[in-house]
This record gives sequence, C-alpha cells and structure tokens, in this order.
Amino acid sequence: MRSKYTIPTWFAFGWLGFAVFLAVFGSFLPVDGYQVIHGDFIDSPPFTPGHWFGVDSNGYDIFSGIINGARLSVFIAVVSVGLGGAIGSALGITAAYYRGRYDSFVNSAFNVVLSVPNLVLALALVAVLATNVDINQPVPAWRRLVTLIVSLTVIIIPILGRIARAATLAWSGREFVVAARSMGMRDRDIIARHIIPNVLPALIAVGFLAVGVVIIAEASLSLLGVGIPDGASWGGMIARGRNDLEYNPHALYIPIIALAFTVISTNHVGDVLRGKLDGREGRL
Amino acid sequence: MTTMMSIEDLHVKFATPFGSLEAVRGASLDIPAGMSVGVVGESGSGKTVLCRASMGLLSGSNVQREGKVVFDGKELTAMTRDQVRNEFGTGMAMIFQDPMTALNPVRRIGTQISESLRVRLRMDGKAARARSAELLSLVRIPDPEAMLRKFPYQLSGGMRQRVMIAIAISCNPKLLFADEPTTALDVTVQAQILQLLSDLRRDLKMSMVLVTHDLGVVANHTDFVAVMYAGEIVEQAPTIELFANMKMPYTEALLNSIPNIEMKSGARLKAIEGRLPSPVDRPTGCGFVTRCSYALQKCHDEHPPLVDAGNGHLYRCWFPLGHTIARKQ
Repeated sequence: MRSKYTIPTWFAFGWLGFAVFLAVFGSFLPVDGYQVIHGDFIDSPPFTPGHWFGVDSNGYDIFSGIINGARLSVFIAVVSVGLGGAIGSALGITAAYYRGRYDSFVNSAFNVVLSVPNLVLALALVAVLATNVDINQPVPAWRRLVTLIVSLTVIIIPILGRIARAATLAWSGREFVVAARSMGMRDRDIIARHIIPNVLPALIAVGFLAVGVVIIAEASLSLLGVGIPDGASWGGMIARGRNDLEYNPHALYIPIIALAFTVISTNHVGDVLRGKLDGREGRL
Repeated sequence: MTTMMSIEDLHVKFATPFGSLEAVRGASLDIPAGMSVGVVGESGSGKTVLCRASMGLLSGSNVQREGKVVFDGKELTAMTRDQVRNEFGTGMAMIFQDPMTALNPVRRIGTQISESLRVRLRMDGKAARARSAELLSLVRIPDPEAMLRKFPYQLSGGMRQRVMIAIAISCNPKLLFADEPTTALDVTVQAQILQLLSDLRRDLKMSMVLVTHDLGVVANHTDFVAVMYAGEIVEQAPTIELFANMKMPYTEALLNSIPNIEMKSGARLKAIEGRLPSPVDRPTGCGFVTRCSYALQKCHDEHPPLVDAGNGHLYRCWFPLGHTIARKQ
C-alpha cells in the first residue's frame, strides 16, 4: 500500500530537515557568528582551508552565513505560513460552511488580495509600515521583522484560505455532515470534528508550497533592500553579494543554491503530499 | 393512540435556475406513537425531502418550507434553529440511505458513536465508550470492542449501516426516520437490517418512518403506509387495509412491479410505463394521468382531491379501483 519514495523525495525531505535543524540548533554549532570579520581572508574563493565556502568582500564567512541565515529564513517562512494559514483557513472554512453574504465577502476579499502581485503587495506594506515619519530616524530591526512577517502573512492568507474554502465546500456537502446535524451537533463541533480533519491534509500539502512562495518573497524583498537589514537571512546575503559579482561570484551563488534547494524541496514535498492525498481520496 | 409527529399541509420548494421546484406539495401525515409508518414511492417522488423537511434538516437559502409540523406536542415549524437542534438525537434521529457516505472517512467508529453521547447526553469519555460498545452489541455487531477502533473503510456496507443505526439510536430517540436504509446494501443483508430495525423499534418503543420503494418491505415491517407520487401523498391507510382494499391505480402498479416467484421464467417484469412528470412543470390534472391505464378525460382536466374512504384510508383519485364507472381497458 505504501508507495516507495523516490530519491528526489528523500533528498527533499532530507534538505528540509537539515534546514530546520540549522534553524533550530545553528547557534549551538561550533561556527563563527555571521558578523565576525575575517580581515585576512577577504575575497577568498571556496575550498580555502577553514573557509570552505569562501569569504566575501566584507570579510564575512559564507559557511557561517548560510548556517546562521537558515534561522531567519526558516523562522520567517514558518511563522508567516503558520499565521497566514491559521487566519486564512479560519476564514475559508467558516465562509464555505456558512455560505451567504459572509462567504461572498470573504471570497471577494481573497480575490482582491490575490489580484495584486505578491511582491508589489509586500513592498507596499513594508514601505508603509516600516518607515518612520522622520526619515532620518532609523527603523529598529524588530519592527522591520514584524512588518516583513505581517506582509508575508497577508500574502499567504488568500492562498491557503481559498484552498480551505474549496475543500470545505466539497466536504460540507457530504452526507456525514447532515448525519452529524441530525444528531444535534452544533456547527462549531461539526467544523472542529468533521470538517477540519478532512480539510487539514490538503492545507498541509499546499502549506509546503506556500513556504516556498514566502522564502522567495522574503529573498526578493531583501534584494530590493526592504528586507531584514544586516543581511542575516539568505536573501540578505544575496543582496549583499550581488554588488561584487565579478570578483566574488561565490558570495552570490552559494546562498542562491541554498535558497533554490529549499524552495525546490518544499515544492516537491508539497507535490508528493498532494499526490498521496489524491490517491487516498480515490480509495475512499 | 397518541400522535408522535403530525405533518400538516407541508410544502417544500427549491429555487432552481429553471424556476421553483416543488418537491413536496401539501403532504399531511400523522405518525402514531410507537408505530411504524412506511413511505413508499418511486425515485424522485419526494420521500426523502418529506422526511428531511419535516425533521428540519433541509437548510440553505434556496429552500422554502411551508406548513406545520408538530413533534411530541411541540410545533417544530415555529421553533428557532437552536430549539429544533435540541430535539435532534434525543427526540428525532435519522438513518441515511448510503452508509458509505454517512460516516466520516477519517475518524474511528468509536469516536463517531461516542461523539453524540458526549455532546448530547454529556457523558464522560469512559462512559461514552462503554455505552458505544453496548450500542454496537445492540445492533448485533460481533466483538464491539474491536469495532470501536476501526475506520469506516474497513467495514462492509451492512456493518456500516449497523454502525449508523447504533449512532441514530444512541440518544434514545422517540422517532426514527429510516431513509431507504437498505437501498445501498446487497439483498442478503437487507432482510437482516430491516429485521434489526423492527426489533429495535419494538424493544426501544420508538416510532419509525420507514422510507422505501418496496411494497413488500412495507407489508412486513409497517403498521401504516403512505404512498407518494410526484410530491403528493396519493394514498394512505393502515397497512392491512391498504393491501386488502387498494384504491389508487398507482399503488396497484407499484405492487404489480414486484417480481413474483410464481412468474414464468423469462416473463417480463411489469415496470410502470413512462416517467414521473417534471417537478418544475406539473400537469394540471392528476400527476399520474399519463401513465395510468384507467385515466379518463376528467383525470387530465382536474386535480383529484383527497377522499376519505373510512378506516383511516385516504386516497387521491377520481376513479379508484373498484369504482363502478366503466373503464377503458
């Protein structure tokens, strides 16, 4: 019954597990902090002993950058997808269950947000929320982080909300929902006990795809200079590295590879989960 | 004899893109306490809608219900949604046609049975589990403890229907709607399930509405019968009276369409010719007129009223069986 996973699937699971491990335990590893400057090794290419991924033109070690950058990239992705998924599915599930005007309102709101390109939306939100009235006053890093997470959450809400709504529409028409009602179950019990357990697998599958979307969006924002300052995330490393592409290409392509692997892995895992889900649906 | 549920002039309309569809047209029916009432009719005659509407299970902005339903002395049609929900499970319960879809595929049998016990009867987890096992043995499922841990897909159709029955009777309802409980099951299991329902009804002193399209089932398992056609109750009577003194040509046609063991092999089954009239465009006269072998001009022109033949026998026909007017044949 259980299908054997292919090698790419194992790789995808492995890479994601590795990234999450770095994010959680990265700070305990015997690696320099990403802000330590190695003045003697500026512009060293990869495979330099002690600096296996090389050093960029500011003297930052790229290996420690990757390990420490995982923390921020994964944290931002998980928090915004978790938050956006929770809000989005709460809206989508209740909209599809209760229908009526509330449903039309929620659905139109989703469509409006979806109609604005992700990056433009996030850029607008960051530009508005993470600036001081006095332009010369610097914006604290935590505020930029919160703003970034909020704007990425806004991107995720309609993506997962629509999936939740569509799945709920299909499941709430099933006979077992009528059966539960005929036994006097309350709407909130029916949603909690009958709808959510059936909708959740689809949400998890699409949630992985959403993680990919968020990581890309966060990196793009960093590249545009509105991400987290100091280049602590992978996107920030790319943003810094692009300045001297001709002398130091490894400062650019190593974080790009890390980012690409992560996004490809989340997409692949999402696809595999969705495929398993469709198979299960077929057997019912 | 007290009445458990009385349905008076119930109309159910659905708004559709093709216009208003009247699925139930002025049905009146009394369900006596402790008795079993059969609702018979072919597919699309409004049996399921009648049951769901009288219980109050139809919802949605496109459904319109008119008429009066009184259950156990309380007027359901005048109650709020919350008040009606309070009657579900403990007052009325329903068994569904297809046990494959009426159980949640991702939850264990045990949690699905004990859920209503915990929510409706406020039992704690342990008591609900014990009672669930008890209910499963009541519906004659062997090894109930093991069954509690199974998922619906691990069960056969008959077993699932037994689980559905266990859920329906879990809160001791006074009135049980059985909406074609055996249609989705294979023939050998049908008789067992019907016998089980009849026994449970007697032991638990419930009233029951048994929806079916099989007059044979009605003869064996009900005290009263209502025959539905095109959204109307066209004939209703105590079961014995109905079979002894049939009035409606439609009821006769239904009876004739049951295959008989004495039929010659190779003989054709007597299906009722034609189709039900479209529910959005009902004929002006009798709904059965196009398919009735006794129809006269009057049947085309005027809608027959409900006639009382005595003994609780009501029918809706201008020229009932046994009538003296010469028939074309």
